[in-house]
Amino acid sequence: MIERLKSCFLKEMPFFLAAPAVLWAIILFLFPLLCLIFTSFIDQDTGLFSWYNYHHIANITIAIIIIRSLFYALLTTFFTLIIGYPIAYYVAFYARAKEYMLFFLTLPFWTNLIVLVYAWFFLLEREGLINFLLTKLGLITEPLQLAYTTGSVILVMTYCYIPFMIMPLYSVLNKFNMRLLEASCDLGATYFQTLRHVIIPVSLPGIRTGIILVFVPSFGEFIVPALMGGAKQLTVGSLISYYFVVSKNYAIGSAFTILSGLILLLTAILIYFLITLIKK
Amino acid sequence: MHQLSYGFLLLRLAVVLTLAFLYLPLFVLIVFSFNSNPFTQEWGYFTTEWYSVLWDSREIWDSFYNSCKIALQATILSVLLSTLFVSFANQYYKKHLQFLFYASLAVPEILVAVSLLGFFSLCFIPLGPMTILVGHTLLGLGYAVPIIYTRYQEIDQQLILAAYDLGASQFQIFRTIIIPLLFPSIIAASLLVFVLSLDDFFISFFCCDATTQTLPLYIFSIIRSGSTPVINALSAVLLCITSLAIFCFSLLQMKDREKR
Repeated sequence: MIERLKSCFLKEMPFFLAAPAVLWAIILFLFPLLCLIFTSFIDQDTGLFSWYNYHHIANITIAIIIIRSLFYALLTTFFTLIIGYPIAYYVAFYARAKEYMLFFLTLPFWTNLIVLVYAWFFLLEREGLINFLLTKLGLITEPLQLAYTTGSVILVMTYCYIPFMIMPLYSVLNKFNMRLLEASCDLGATYFQTLRHVIIPVSLPGIRTGIILVFVPSFGEFIVPALMGGAKQLTVGSLISYYFVVSKNYAIGSAFTILSGLILLLTAILIYFLITLIKK
Repeated sequence: MHQLSYGFLLLRLAVVLTLAFLYLPLFVLIVFSFNSNPFTQEWGYFTTEWYSVLWDSREIWDSFYNSCKIALQATILSVLLSTLFVSFANQYYKKHLQFLFYASLAVPEILVAVSLLGFFSLCFIPLGPMTILVGHTLLGLGYAVPIIYTRYQEIDQQLILAAYDLGASQFQIFRTIIIPLLFPSIIAASLLVFVLSLDDFFISFFCCDATTQTLPLYIFSIIRSGSTPVINALSAVLLCITSLAIFCFSLLQMKDREKR
């Protein structure tokens, strides 16, 4: 009997070896997400199913916060696209040591996010380097308010997410079929016409991936707005961290998280389909 | 085609400006870590005193030690689990469960961190280094599985069939064929997960207790409360460490690709 069990066990060993990874992901990722959804429907006091939490957060302040995060995320995506596309284009078409270039372009991404934010802080704050240099050169008399503005938040977020945009764009442009360019030249198109009618449409899948890769994380970003935006500009991320860490109000916090998550998902799907429509 | 046109020069200019934009803050940070003046940006004189303060600082070494310990454990766990999964799982499951690991990356990290927090409090698990480790391993799996799986798919199935014909058991095949062939990608995945865990902020922030400090958390608290060039020095050191690790990682990936 024991022998049979042992041999069965040994035969099924592969399953037991492979299972932990899957179990890890299911127990620690899927299940907690479900718990989150579950918690958002529970009333804090009575412990019963209720829509109380959602009622509680359905007010204009919350709406403003969500819209502000969407706004930041969209602006960041826009700027990373504008800055990232020429870079990806250059590296894919013209550069010689492509992989080294790519390595150097994505290197800032691998450093600590906090270090990057601190570096910009160092430049932008009132006693920071930029203000200092400008005052030294006599161009301004009083230090400019560069940090703690919306502009600085967008700037630093763009800085942090550029590599996410460059990588998909590069991988699509790298596989670009050069004969399409030759063909369009033969048919008499100018450079800008080629750009508009050939290059951009072909790279649209890469643009779509890049937009999604930048938009989704930057929506939930809270370090950059918290450090660079000051306490006045609340975003989704800072509010979530407030609910869960400071006030420990898990019920309302999860309701808010689920709500913002849904809005993020809807917006991301909307953008995805818009671009797919443009493709056709 | 357009090698000498104005458009091309403009493009080159854009690339140079962007590279400058990318590296300016880091460069400034490193340069000013040698500044003797702690509170203004006036250049005093070149000094490495901040580095010696860094070396002597008890707090920083503690949090660095914490970060490294957690990162090492998370790396070992996630690479081990993903290698086992990739080598032993059924083909059907491998194809269809891939999304499970990608999903933890696709979702904004704050969502993962918050749901972990909710889960831990639901099961009355006290927060601490263990919970941070668990979260980092989850993230690490999301990065390690694709890297190792890609490499696994390139293994010539004939080798494995030949080994079966010669009478090897599944574990012998795993030990003598699969692991040596997967070795570069295992190392690459380990480097990647180590760097990621070292730099990770979100999960550490949400899943830690009052006594655990990892390095990113420490820097975050210092930024909020006022900083000295010691942070510049610390950032410079961190930059060097992660750049080195990622350089090795890229080198490994490039060599691996050239071999195939």
